[in-house]
Amino acid sequence: MNLLENIVDATKEIFETMIIMEIIPGNALSESVTEFKGSVSGVIGLAGSCKGMLAIHLPNAVAMAITGNFLGMAVDEVNDDVTDAIGELANMLAGNIKMVLDVAGNNVTLSIPSCIHGAEYSMDCVSDAERVVVPFNTDSGQFLVELQLQCNC
Amino acid sequence: MDLDLQQQIIDSTQSVFDTMLMMPLTPGSILAEKVYTFQKSISAMLGFAGEIQGMLTIHCPQEVAFTITSALLGVDVDTINEDVKDTIGELANMILGGIKDGFTEQGIQINLAIPTVLAGRSYRISGMTDALWITVPFYLDEGEFLVELKLKTPK
Repeated sequence: MNLLENIVDATKEIFETMIIMEIIPGNALSESVTEFKGSVSGVIGLAGSCKGMLAIHLPNAVAMAITGNFLGMAVDEVNDDVTDAIGELANMLAGNIKMVLDVAGNNVTLSIPSCIHGAEYSMDCVSDAERVVVPFNTDSGQFLVELQLQCNC
Repeated sequence: MDLDLQQQIIDSTQSVFDTMLMMPLTPGSILAEKVYTFQKSISAMLGFAGEIQGMLTIHCPQEVAFTITSALLGVDVDTINEDVKDTIGELANMILGGIKDGFTEQGIQINLAIPTVLAGRSYRISGMTDALWITVPFYLDEGEFLVELKLKTPK
């Protein structure tokens, strides 16, 4: 399973069809990023024959730009609209990855998305799961999509 | 659902503290309000899915997290390091594992995701506003921490 390719495909598809924003994928990061400043992170768990988590980490400006496009309105603060939109974005990404995993013979179910935001926070995963982090560039700045996954099969 | 979730949280949390940490723990009354914002804290979030989906989160002030980590590992800690993150993440795994057993006895199957650990000066966790929330505080000599269970039945 090529996780990197699946993340890039899923993210591009959602940004093209749902958010209508141009994004350019970068090279997968060799080191994980765990410290965030002035950011919003959407996170959702995956469970079943593969378990893990999917997260999307966005600086506030990018989170607001995405929410503005998604909802078709101007957004100038990180409010409930933004946290809901970013949680939903994590949900859509994970849904897309789930489909790919299920087609490959897994049986994956999703938990419910949560959204974290703060001036300064860290986010780490406690597991030995395979980890892929992909940066994407937008006109408003860069965001990261992170997938951690361990499969039994 | 024929399950007292508050009691499940208390039983599972107390069992983990009795057997793993050998620390006396006093449960408090379930919180009437949802807590979203945390200062100088560490939170371990663990998602689950299946016939019920949701998330278990443990919220600890830093000092309480240090105490729990010292009790589990037998080392002194005074910063949020890998040991503390691993300990609080593993605590979420163990507590939700106990709650999962309670679900299984009721014939409800769930599977667990992997724990994610947040830490920081100030952060806010939102989402799942339409889910059922149960937050139980627990008291140690060093302070209190929260165990929060959010869940809903898939549509």
